Amino acid sequence: MIIEIDGKACTCSPGEYLLNIASRNGFSIPTLCHHDGLPGQGCCRVCIVEVSLRDRKDIVTACIYPVEQECSVFTDSDRVKRQRGMILALLRASAPESEEISRLCKMYDAPLYERLTQKANEKCILCGLCVSACETLGASAISSVNRGVEKTVSTPYDEPAADCIGCASCAAVCPTGAISVEENNSSRAIWNRKFTLQLCRHCGKPVGTLDELAFAARKTGVAQTTLCEECRRKAIADEMITAYER
Amino acid sequence: MNRTVLVCCGTGCIANGSLEVAEALRRAISETKTHAIVETVIKQTGCNGFCENGPIVRIMPDDISYYKVKPKNARDIVNSIGEKPVEQLLYKNDEGTPVLSQMENPFYMSQHKTVLRNIGEIDPGNLSDYLARGGYSALKKALFMTPDAIIREVESSGLRGRGGAGFPTGRKWRTAAGFEALPKYVICNGDEGDPGAFMDRSILEGDPHSVLEGIIICALSIGALEGFLYIRDEYVLARKYVQKAIHDAESAGILGGSIMGSGKRLNLSVVRGGGAFICGESTALMASIEGRVGEPRAKYARSAQRGLWNQPTVLNNVETFANIPIIINNSGENFTKIGAENSKGTKVFALVGKVRRSGLVEVPMGVSLRYLVNNIGGGVIDGRPLKAVQIGGPSGGCIPEAMLDLPVDFDSLTNYGAMMGSGGMIVMDDRSCMVEVARYYVNFLAEESCGKCTPCREGLRQMLAILTDICEGRGKEGDLELLEEISRALIGASLCALGKSAPNPVMTGIRYFRDEYIAHIMEKHCPAGVCAALTAFEIDASVCVGCTNCKRACPTGAVTGEVKSAHNINQAACVACGACREVCRFGAVRAIKRRFAV
Ligand SMILES: Cc1cc2nc3c(=O)[nH]c(=O)nc-3n(C[C@H](O)[C@H](O)[C@H](O)COP(=O)(O)O)c2cc1C
Ligand code: SF4
Ligand code: FES
Ligand code: FES
Repeated sequence: MIIEIDGKACTCSPGEYLLNIASRNGFSIPTLCHHDGLPGQGCCRVCIVEVSLRDRKDIVTACIYPVEQECSVFTDSDRVKRQRGMILALLRASAPESEEISRLCKMYDAPLYERLTQKANEKCILCGLCVSACETLGASAISSVNRGVEKTVSTPYDEPAADCIGCASCAAVCPTGAISVEENNSSRAIWNRKFTLQLCRHCGKPVGTLDELAFAARKTGVAQTTLCEECRRKAIADEMITAYER
Repeated sequence: MNRTVLVCCGTGCIANGSLEVAEALRRAISETKTHAIVETVIKQTGCNGFCENGPIVRIMPDDISYYKVKPKNARDIVNSIGEKPVEQLLYKNDEGTPVLSQMENPFYMSQHKTVLRNIGEIDPGNLSDYLARGGYSALKKALFMTPDAIIREVESSGLRGRGGAGFPTGRKWRTAAGFEALPKYVICNGDEGDPGAFMDRSILEGDPHSVLEGIIICALSIGALEGFLYIRDEYVLARKYVQKAIHDAESAGILGGSIMGSGKRLNLSVVRGGGAFICGESTALMASIEGRVGEPRAKYARSAQRGLWNQPTVLNNVETFANIPIIINNSGENFTKIGAENSKGTKVFALVGKVRRSGLVEVPMGVSLRYLVNNIGGGVIDGRPLKAVQIGGPSGGCIPEAMLDLPVDFDSLTNYGAMMGSGGMIVMDDRSCMVEVARYYVNFLAEESCGKCTPCREGLRQMLAILTDICEGRGKEGDLELLEEISRALIGASLCALGKSAPNPVMTGIRYFRDEYIAHIMEKHCPAGVCAALTAFEIDASVCVGCTNCKRACPTGAVTGEVKSAHNINQAACVACGACREVCRFGAVRAIKRRFAV
């Protein structure tokens, strides 16, 4: 199947997400709440593009729009520019501390509206990726609470997260670096809790938190190694070499 | 002649003590020996729609309606049966003449009851009552029709969904029927979250079997074996009646393992709503039934294809389903004879606000707003000027007085920036501020939005801040343009219909009441005298008769003055709530522009 993106013919298979097709063909569409390994959420709305299908033109979110029929896509039409500009401007007002949002605002020419009310000291744009990551890996230690303009991401009752294993996956997927992770040689602090780090028995670099390793062991039923990624690879390589030498 | 005494026991009348009235009537009947030859039975019915005049008691077949009945009136009512009616409890028409029948009462006379046909006539908890009025005859007929024939009938009726969007019901059923995937589901949306709306509640409470009948017919046509009635958390009575109706229908073999002996089955259950406005949105509702958080889901497949548990699903509103038995019984063709061009049939509205007669009303679509306000509603309270009618719920719009000849149908309302919504209709007089009204709804939506997507959550936050500024005298030049620009992003890029329709109250406000917005922004003046930060009140000493009403109404004690001499407002103590103006019967209290002191 062939669709047209900004005038360029692109091949794709039916049902494929528009964002994938676009990236494969070298178009860059901004995204915030999308992550390849997590279920599509379609909530930040910065990936909007215009799809022209039969006699209709609709604004859709590329990350979750499945292409089922031949259509023309416009990633930078006037309508897209205008609405995306406003969405980015709104995000900037809601998370003025985020460098990523400022970068996108600049890149996509988001107008500066001084009249908008700025939130103080905020980086979170409520994209939901952290909650989704935590849920997907099985800990479900954080969730989004409240609705409407009061929505935030938090731990149950705002207490230190009881179910948190300190893996920091949430921080890793966060597009704006809004989740604070503090780490020193022996411990990691996240979501108001402090976790002891398991250090690599070989090189002494942190492998992960003790809770994280225990969680993985429970889930997989396999005792977790106390070697860091690098040392483990080296150990396997050493083993293979000795195996061949023998 | 035997008599039936119908006592309205809808939520409104119960709140006004109708259960006590029913009890008092029962006692009075058992104590009154004189009626040995007349058998009188008491029947508790659903809402008669005229709740503000409840409790309502009707004597049948004489067709005498009594209003605002108290338990102490029970004996008089019972004694009057077959004799002279109790005049003081009758409704007085616009000429002041007491009327007996509902058909002489201007509130009812101008209505056209189709969906509400049984409500107030039958005991909702009694299946035999429903059957006696032809209930389940449509189902019987449908069992002899092919699914295709049922759907064709619904298609030819032109019925459009009554839950808000007005999607053609037949087309929805056709789509769901066309998918092979099993199982399929049918869901009835009884979440009714619009503030002030009670159309669906009244139907569920007053005639639950009519909804069940519609649902069963839908299930037969699309091949669903399981269905749900999703009913708003607060609707305790409605859930009780629906639960009972399901139970009774099952016991009677109308529902369950073999529908009327046909061998076809359907299992129906009641699901208690998640307690949030957004739960009424289709994907959020389905998420809620699936046991997940009631939030909309972003998807590009229709529910008819991938709905509940990703299976083909038909979701319709309560009132939509209640129309189905009529269509099957009288044919789709006949259904089209009532209503407007692209909006067939009737619509139930909750007519409220500054109107003399308010309540639940049903009219053919296509009648004018003016007809609703004047003929049924009896015009504005105290004869004040009519300013606007807010229609369509929180995401609706305010239609100005000059446009009240607009026909009430799906397309006309949408063309003018409002929407049919589920049928809320609020009449506003010249003391309503259109900016404040918009601010109120935007605030509601900002709180009730699920908060998941950026345009809706952040857009509404900013719109609310700007509107609040305008109401409080901090409006700036350019605010209207910015409101419009934010609105465009909401309409175009929001994830669900809440965000897409949320700008309606603001957009219609700016469109029809631009001067009022400008007055707030540029002159710091609220012409309606509502926005407290911009308003002061003063008493015209030449008009004031010193009745002391305002003095007693003032919450801060700002009004001073002696009986029978002109009163005065101490501006330093006044919070500009307008209570004095509200109670003054002589028009002596005036709203003026507050001298700005910021
Ligand atoms: C925020 C929001 C709230 C809604 N609430 C209701 C509701 O309370 N009842 C209802 O029937 N439809 C409601 N709807 C509309 C439903 O999503 C859906 O369109 C409707 O139930 C379909 O039934 P119909 O075709 O019979 O109207 C709501 C929609 C939105 C966006
Ligand atoms: S439009 Fe509003 S209610 Fe709908 S998904 Fe977005 S935030 Fe939630
Ligand atoms: S990346 Fe598509 S909506 Fe967020
Ligand atoms: S409840 Fe009795 S009239 Fe509405």
